[in-house]
Amino acid sequence: MNKIISDIRETARQLLADGKVDVVIGYEKGSLPLKATPCFVHSAQEVDSLIWDETCENNLAAFVAKTPGKKAIVAKGCDSRALVVLLQENQLVRDDLYIIGVSCHGVIDQRKIGAEVGEILEASITDGKISVKGMEGDKEYLFAEVKDATCQTCRYPNPVIEDLHLGELIQVSQDVAAFADVAAMENKSESERQEYFKEQMSKCIRCYACRNACPLCYCQECFVDCNSPRWLTGGVDRAENLLFQAGRVLHLAGRCVDCGACSRACLQGVDIRALNRKMTKDVYEMYNHESGISEEGKPALNVYSANDPEEQFLVKE
Amino acid sequence: MQQNPYIPITMKLVKNLVETEDKLINTFTLEFLNKQDEENFKYMPGQFAELSAYGHGEAPFGIATSPTEPGILKFSVAKVGCVSNALHLMEEGTMVGVRGPMGNYYPIEEFKGKNLVIIGGGFAFTTLRSLAKYMLDPKHRGDYGDITVIYGARNPGLLLYKEELAEWENNPNINLVTTIDRPAEGWNKHVGFIPSITEQIAPSSVNTYAVVCGPPAMIKFTLPVLEKLNFPPERIYTSLEMRMKCGLGICGRCNIGTEYVCKDGPVFSMAQLKELPSEY
Amino acid sequence: MKISKEKFGQALDALIAEYQIIAPVSDANGIAFKGVKSFSEVKQDYLNSKLPPKAFFFPQHEKLMSYKKEGKDVTVKSELKVENTVLFGIRPCDAKGMQLLDMVFKNDQYTDPYYYERREKAVIIGVACQKIAPTCFCSSFGISPAGSEGSDLFLIDLGDSYDVEVITEKGKALAARFEALSELTADEQALVEKVKRAETTSKVDVSTTTSKLDKMFNSPYWDSLQEKCIGCNVCSFSCPTCHCFDISEEVRKNEGTRVRTWDGCMAPLFTLHGSGHNPRDHKKARWRQRMMHKFNYFVHNNGSMSCVGCGRCIKSCPVNMDIRQVIDGANKAELVVE
Repeated sequence: MNKIISDIRETARQLLADGKVDVVIGYEKGSLPLKATPCFVHSAQEVDSLIWDETCENNLAAFVAKTPGKKAIVAKGCDSRALVVLLQENQLVRDDLYIIGVSCHGVIDQRKIGAEVGEILEASITDGKISVKGMEGDKEYLFAEVKDATCQTCRYPNPVIEDLHLGELIQVSQDVAAFADVAAMENKSESERQEYFKEQMSKCIRCYACRNACPLCYCQECFVDCNSPRWLTGGVDRAENLLFQAGRVLHLAGRCVDCGACSRACLQGVDIRALNRKMTKDVYEMYNHESGISEEGKPALNVYSANDPEEQFLVKE
Repeated sequence: MQQNPYIPITMKLVKNLVETEDKLINTFTLEFLNKQDEENFKYMPGQFAELSAYGHGEAPFGIATSPTEPGILKFSVAKVGCVSNALHLMEEGTMVGVRGPMGNYYPIEEFKGKNLVIIGGGFAFTTLRSLAKYMLDPKHRGDYGDITVIYGARNPGLLLYKEELAEWENNPNINLVTTIDRPAEGWNKHVGFIPSITEQIAPSSVNTYAVVCGPPAMIKFTLPVLEKLNFPPERIYTSLEMRMKCGLGICGRCNIGTEYVCKDGPVFSMAQLKELPSEY
Repeated sequence: MKISKEKFGQALDALIAEYQIIAPVSDANGIAFKGVKSFSEVKQDYLNSKLPPKAFFFPQHEKLMSYKKEGKDVTVKSELKVENTVLFGIRPCDAKGMQLLDMVFKNDQYTDPYYYERREKAVIIGVACQKIAPTCFCSSFGISPAGSEGSDLFLIDLGDSYDVEVITEKGKALAARFEALSELTADEQALVEKVKRAETTSKVDVSTTTSKLDKMFNSPYWDSLQEKCIGCNVCSFSCPTCHCFDISEEVRKNEGTRVRTWDGCMAPLFTLHGSGHNPRDHKKARWRQRMMHKFNYFVHNNGSMSCVGCGRCIKSCPVNMDIRQVIDGANKAELVVE
């Protein structure tokens, strides 16, 4: 067994046995190949179900505030960034939280594999190679080939906040954030972009899996559910869907940690991240801000600055 | 083909009356536009209807009139949401939509030859008014034994149907007991919560049915009192509220276990409720 | 009897003037049931659609009526629109799902005209599954990957031709328009028999589930079950038997429409009263409702479970809630003595 997994289990066992936490939120093997599932361990006897690998794609920070009691969480880089934002926004009590940090090389994009081999019958991961048996055929992949798009641009594979670190730290170049994907979208003509988003928005079925999978979409009443005033109709058409998706992105401006949980949760394969990434880039360029990277900071739009570059916004004397 | 149950009939709001001193409850009197609509709208005490405030939506409300009052329907509605707010603001003469009647009704056949104690709290008195009014009708009064009404509100200004209550005070066919939670100036009737007033003045449970409607806390504390007075669960009825949309037992939100409150209720006996999960 | 695919395609194409033809097609997003103009557009080698075909009778968003206000007056108009429809390529699980929906949209008191009039004007051509996925578990519910229940006509793919079985009068009327029906060869007959014997490899034992759930309303099972659910509606929206809906108003100045849209029991607002009280105020109560509805209440009310084992919710769930494990967990849950 891999050392990180045994360490996670041992840590969980200790925390639960010592009564330091009531529950450990981690991952266990899912019912489908290449799919891990969130798991809630309440007793030291159950820790052996915990795992850690490239299939642990959910952002567990989404569960923390909703889980009562003192809790430990297995957090990869993006989970930890979401925790930071939640702490900055007073959604969590730090003392009730024990963060088991794990470095993450990225998670597998199952959709990409499924599109090539059909429904996955069996799969195994060894030494960075993924062997897949599918209904339409078998295939072997290098991890890099099927790494989720989000993880390919990840600059924070190591947790930014943690109580314990397990595994080796991953080296990344910490220069500047790269936004080649956004730049490519910006370089398209307006009509091309319009076509692209029309197609994307026509796929949305408004099941709200994206919103609910997001660790930072925690509003008690989401604007889409509000009925007085009613911002959105129940209509499921491109315009209404765009209003929902764009509204969500705007609410996440300066807060989104680009974990990709929304895109991975989407059954319909809507490119939700295309909108989020643009917002992330704009916030990065305008405010020199990346969300959830240090506990001291505040979400970009929660800060008032007299040097705000947007002049009309400020009342000049 | 069966009439489309999603399409409301149009009725005219002929009176929009502020019912309580806190101005949170209004009684709407709606008039049928033609005989045909009225013929099709045959209802019994305890049933409800979906009212449409066009431009705002639709919501379910218990019918406060009795079928013995021809030509109109009355609804007493608390201002809580989008539709009720719109109705409160509506000018007299405006057309509203009505779908119904929906749901079951108080078992008035079963009540025949029996005494009845009607216990109501706050603005949940609406369908109880319908029931009392129905039984007091000269055509029906002979079918029933003694009728006792115990009706309470926080203070005198929150009692509904004040003129009617005054009339019932002096009507030998009905024994009306009104109560308020705390003493108030000018109030010379009962003071106290409904459960304790019920305990003091409820008639014998022999050959008697009880119908209880009100806020959950009131029902919760009144039921043990009725049990103590030896009312068996089969002879205690109540009417439940649920969030509803279609009113037809299809849209799936108002069920308690296997029963859809809109279609199989809203009237249930305590004996029935004991068999259902406590999810209401 | 069999018909060559070529002749079948021609027959289907000939129906276009009278019917809208809905069939599986392959798009960027996988397999979907869509309107087609010719049989050549139809995807023949497919597992099943990503979203169930229920939307053709029960659209995700539909107008029930429209109205126009003028001063204090209002005029109201029904928006019921129905077309003759042929649904081709419906898998046995989904055909059975439609029969279950029929029980919902026509109950002991009411018939839903929007659903029923479309349903009555539709002919279902079922096609036996050529492949069975690991997430398919219809055999658990007595449905077979080659089951004809719920179809009007049922086809089994024989390569260049289809074995044709007439199931209902509607199917018979449609089959009368097919030409060149011929007898199966002995080999083809053997193939048909083989296809009919197929079962799903994944099965879950539901024999005791309903009676077990009778006693489980207060079980602690629901506490642990709901923990990882994120409360979205993708399981309901991808389910061929989920039917809950919302009714709302879309208004522009003095005109408006009343619409109904898919809703789901996982949403907290689904049962929220105007007073703020919510009888199902926790995910635990909502999951219990989902399970109870499908495997207990529906059985008591309609005599059948409201799940057909299509596996869509398993594949679509972002956190891998697997309904097979949930059923199994309920079967095994310890009962609390009350």
